[in-house]
Amino acid sequence: MEEWIQQAQVWAGQAESWVRQQPPEQIYVAAAVVAITILVLIAASCLKSSKPNTIVLSGLNGSGKTTLFYQLRDGSSHQGTVTSMEENSDTFVLHSEQERKGKVKPVHVVDVPGHARLKTKLDEFLPRAAGVIFVVDAQDFCRACKQLQTLSSCRYLYDILTKATVVKKRVPVLIFCNKTDKVTAHSKEFIRKQLEKEINKLRESRNALSSADISDEVKLGVPGEAFNFSQCQNKVTVSEGAGLTGNVSAIEEFIREYVKA
Amino acid sequence: MLEELLIFTRGGLILWSSCQALGGAALKGSPIDALIRSCLLEERSGDASFSQDNYGLKWTFHNELGLVFVAVYQRILHLLYIDDLLAAIRKEFSQIYDPKRTDYYDFTDIFRQLHLEAEARAEVMKKSKQPIVSRPSQTHSHNKTAPKVRGGENTAGGNKKKGGSGKDEDSNGGSATFKGKENSQPYVVFKEKENGGPKDNNGAFDVNKLQNLRNKKKTVPTENGAKKTTKPAIKKKVNRVWDDKPSNKKLDFTEPADERGDEVTDHVLVTRGESMMDKDENVSSDSEDEEEAQDGPKKNGWFSLFQSIAGNSVLEKSDLQPALKALKDRLMTKNVAEEISEKLCESVAVSLEGKKLGSFTRISSTVQTAMEEALLRILTPRRSIDILRDVQSAKERGRPYVIVFVGVNGVGKSTNLAKVAYWLLQHNLSVTLAACDTFRSGAVEQLRTHARRLQIPIFEKGYEKDPAVVAKEAIQDASRNKSDVVLVDTAGRMQDNEPLMRALSKLINLNNPDLVLFVGEALVGNDAIDQLTKFNQKLADLSSVPTARLIDGILLTKFDTIDDKVGAVLSMVYISGAPVMFVGCGQSYTDLKKLNVKSIVKTLLK
Repeated sequence: MEEWIQQAQVWAGQAESWVRQQPPEQIYVAAAVVAITILVLIAASCLKSSKPNTIVLSGLNGSGKTTLFYQLRDGSSHQGTVTSMEENSDTFVLHSEQERKGKVKPVHVVDVPGHARLKTKLDEFLPRAAGVIFVVDAQDFCRACKQLQTLSSCRYLYDILTKATVVKKRVPVLIFCNKTDKVTAHSKEFIRKQLEKEINKLRESRNALSSADISDEVKLGVPGEAFNFSQCQNKVTVSEGAGLTGNVSAIEEFIREYVKA
Repeated sequence: MLEELLIFTRGGLILWSSCQALGGAALKGSPIDALIRSCLLEERSGDASFSQDNYGLKWTFHNELGLVFVAVYQRILHLLYIDDLLAAIRKEFSQIYDPKRTDYYDFTDIFRQLHLEAEARAEVMKKSKQPIVSRPSQTHSHNKTAPKVRGGENTAGGNKKKGGSGKDEDSNGGSATFKGKENSQPYVVFKEKENGGPKDNNGAFDVNKLQNLRNKKKTVPTENGAKKTTKPAIKKKVNRVWDDKPSNKKLDFTEPADERGDEVTDHVLVTRGESMMDKDENVSSDSEDEEEAQDGPKKNGWFSLFQSIAGNSVLEKSDLQPALKALKDRLMTKNVAEEISEKLCESVAVSLEGKKLGSFTRISSTVQTAMEEALLRILTPRRSIDILRDVQSAKERGRPYVIVFVGVNGVGKSTNLAKVAYWLLQHNLSVTLAACDTFRSGAVEQLRTHARRLQIPIFEKGYEKDPAVVAKEAIQDASRNKSDVVLVDTAGRMQDNEPLMRALSKLINLNNPDLVLFVGEALVGNDAIDQLTKFNQKLADLSSVPTARLIDGILLTKFDTIDDKVGAVLSMVYISGAPVMFVGCGQSYTDLKKLNVKSIVKTLLK
């Protein structure tokens, strides 16, 4: 053991004499390079861990999320879409802002499939979301909500609003009523009221259950009062538009509000 | 005639469509969406083809680029060149594909050329096989007219219900594997009966058949099962006869009003404790999974960077074979039915072929991950399994929520019915039992005992009554008494017993219940597929309305008797598409659980 210590001391002495032999400028340059590299790494990691900038597009199967995704990115929905089997994820500058002069910060948008079998994909992206856009089919709304046994819009929205990550980080939610270019589409006020009523019912039936309910993570709203979107801790707004015709200004405003340019 | 050829990404964007490019007529309905929803997302991508309305669809994937190529054609026509054409198009398109581009108008010319070439090749092949081809083509046209008629009636139901589309593939698909078995309707029944006879695992039933034959002094059936199969079609349901002596005495010993076992009444409600349905399961493993999920995407970022620079071996089918075989054997040791394991492995192979293998991953781990995702997708319920919420909606409409329990003999229907009643009572809902098992001795008494212990009303009419009528009256009675839920118990029946299945179909169609729950035991092996397909088929065939009621949910029983051989879950869910709503794991009132998908997937692949 002592031999090792002695050997180490000899090496240290040798290193010191070697260092003293080098011209001082080289040492300073080497030290400076190391210091700068460390500073750069620290700065980069600091910048990366800033606010997440992912916008998640979610909603039921067939509500128009993929169309909206391509509208935001390219300004047109190309030749149409089919049911998505995987998520569409891309970082881009919004199409309407491509002509703006100066530097525009790109936005990371994820379009999560709405099919019930692929619901687990939503849980992968929600923790990193800066905002959630919940797309609702305004034309088909009544039928979709009343169906007893399918995963309806209201239940999906309820699941999103009661996820712990969404509430804790106060992720803002925009409820976008799509397909308003169709004649039989409902108005956004109607949809808003229906959603509030349904979520109220869901909330009450969940509260009537035993305390160890499995899927609920957070209790919504104020007990005793009818549910209202303003009671949520995170901000929930409702707006309307149409994906096919390109009327997506409400979404772009929402994105710009939460992902600073 | 090739109606349409569509190229789209897995994310859903259509890249090129032959209809739009060549100006053909648009497709009626949306067969592509139906294909995705009922076939590709259900892990049936290993099948040869899919049919919907009048269209037949064939597809192929390019897994590396994430593209899907689908060809749609008229189902009655038999086009030989589709597979050929799809392969050629896939090769050509992958050369001009660029992830940034979204329009491929120049592909139109290439497509036209490829189409002509493929047609020419098919013509040449047909001409060279002219004398042999003519006979099969005649039988094919003959075969296709008969099932097509059935297909027309069933598609409206088949679109909406999972069981229907499975049946469509079975009887109507133009795929190569099914061609041999395809025949006009009576022969399909013939074949099924033949398989049903020797495969029967209920010994008493077989003995019964033989004794009936002896009684009626028919000739003993030879190895040719043809005579045997005509009998079930014509004989009516006879009482079980033992020792050649038909008994004429009424065997109904029910005491009409007197309650014999009064002193044993005990309040089960408070003393038994909470039903296990409401207990949280495996909280720790969930939090582990969450952390993994958060670290996962970050790791993916670094790894994919390395992989895109370094690894570049493309997965071939021959590479996947050993890993898939090992996986299939593992699944089969976990009691998954053989057919299902085969189909699943094919589906995973199709989705992995052509993918680039990262240099830091082995083939077996890639296959394992893909299989895990596929299993997770299958076991995730497609519709809500929240019964309490559905009961609330039915309550608002002022009528009771009706659940019918069906299944083969001895799986535990009556026991689990009592467990479900206990669970519902704990959530302050008023339950009524309906004793529609009017056949088995002691069934009504059994339910009566449960009703007494749980202090809930029971509607019964004794034995030898028509179950459909009893159920109807029970529901009317329940709505008069403002009951929230009605649980209907039915007699156990084998899936190939035609008269009993007819009776069941009548019960379901007459009463239109909110939930048809198939009770299956976890111990069952390959028979699970047979049971579920036949139940669904009979319910669809014998229904009088176009939108037939099929099995809506599965109740898995005797789960505590299997340690980790949980494969029956997978077989049942895959074949019927219905989610597992409850799991029975014991014989007392509290032994009812919800299915934990993640733990099942983990157990299956351990």
